[in-house]
Amino acid sequence: MFKINPLRKRQFSGIIIGLITGIGVFYFFTLKSTEQYVSIGPMNNGHEDLSCITCHANAKGNLLQQIQSNISYGVGVRKASVDFGTKDVSANNCLECHDRPNDRHPIYRFSEPRFNEAIKNIDATTCITCHSEHHGARVTINTGDYCMNCHQDLVVEDDPLDIDHETLISKQNWSTCLQCHDFHGNHKYAVPEKLSDTIPLTAIKDYFKGGKDPYGNDKKHKGLSEADWLNKLIK
Amino acid sequence: MKKLNKLSLLTFTILASKLLTSCGGVPEETSTVGKESKVFAVGEVLEMVAKENDVTRTLYTKAIVGKGKKQGMKFDEDWRKDDIEAGPLPALFLRGVATSIKKSPVPLGLYLGSDYPVNAANKFIGKQANLFEKIKVDQKPQFFYDEEQKLHTAMFADLAGAGACVSCHNDHKQSPKTDWELGDVMGATTWQYPKDSLTYKETVDVLKSYADGTVDIYKQYLKEIGEFKESDKPEIGKKWPEEGNFLPSAEVFLDSVKKLSSYETMKHLVVSK
Repeated sequence: MFKINPLRKRQFSGIIIGLITGIGVFYFFTLKSTEQYVSIGPMNNGHEDLSCITCHANAKGNLLQQIQSNISYGVGVRKASVDFGTKDVSANNCLECHDRPNDRHPIYRFSEPRFNEAIKNIDATTCITCHSEHHGARVTINTGDYCMNCHQDLVVEDDPLDIDHETLISKQNWSTCLQCHDFHGNHKYAVPEKLSDTIPLTAIKDYFKGGKDPYGNDKKHKGLSEADWLNKLIK
Repeated sequence: MKKLNKLSLLTFTILASKLLTSCGGVPEETSTVGKESKVFAVGEVLEMVAKENDVTRTLYTKAIVGKGKKQGMKFDEDWRKDDIEAGPLPALFLRGVATSIKKSPVPLGLYLGSDYPVNAANKFIGKQANLFEKIKVDQKPQFFYDEEQKLHTAMFADLAGAGACVSCHNDHKQSPKTDWELGDVMGATTWQYPKDSLTYKETVDVLKSYADGTVDIYKQYLKEIGEFKESDKPEIGKKWPEEGNFLPSAEVFLDSVKKLSSYETMKHLVVSK
């Protein structure tokens, strides 16, 4: 039978304990009920009920295949590396639930060459520039003046605002944009005509952090729930 | 003892490498595409799809917007707003096609711009502005590689091909230019694709993604009509606005586009094949 050298007994016990502990830890942290302990931070607003798998889909192949492929890539016998464990999360993951035909600033528009300078200041080609996940917030960018990167030449004929847009722009009052207009244009609400009636910047900042929606709760399109997203995938 | 250790190490190495390679690696995604030869330069493909776009947009502008307006149909830049009962203006129709293409797996980009756009956000700057000056002179397409985005880019003249283009832009209160004439280069479409050459299948995929995009946005317009509460709803079927308060169904619209554009495109595809 299998004999262990008495001098190696401690070493053997260590290996067995290590293996059991490792398997136990792996099992515990891959349970759905313990996802919160694996997450790098609290989910953003509206995402609290989502499972990890909603964004972190399993990468192609099993663990051994992934290791082999990446070693092959490392020694130069394979053209491309492969995702390890889970697939990289991209903006397409976001759009699977937040695809809105009425989006005023769809990310794809900013790939056009004329936005090359603007996206150096704010990379609007991807969602995570403003909506970085696992921060327990709604909007994670700290500034509210990003409209200045594209709308310096804005001209509004028959300007309905009491202090016209041209004046606001010339004074570099860029944070006033969000006081009337939500960035993605998905809220249904009446835009004020007096600057004094606009949404206070503090209320917008609170909203960014996860507070009450100052633009109202009447939205044209709502993000999909996990169940709706799964149904869409099955179809 | 040393011999035994060496043997164990060797056994472990063999077992580990066997374990690692027993499943084979993850199949390379490019393996099937690599076998198919690249038959079209990216410029050729973008010219083909731009031609399709010219035909589609002209048909939409003339036969739907132009004739539809005479029947009392409305078209507006804010057509998606709930309180506005209207269809998309041609520029917004193109935007809708572009959005739909982006939802497809085909990595094709489509944009519309001008030096005098109705919406200031669509004004060309930088390299596009410089190339647009050349396009205005000779109406020839311009090609370049966008180093920042790593995308092959082509710009094509967007002409005032219908009376509706001229009248709408001249009458629009936001328009910075009000003396447009029929045949003027009003702007340019910009197209982008990541590869320098495409296989036959990739080329067909590009053309299909454009065609699907036109059907998608046209269907959205028809859906919007279905939600009209106060305006007269045109009858949707086989007839066109020139015959009365009618709109062609998405299938009828696409059929007409195919009839107008397919010969040129097929010629390209067949000759190269």
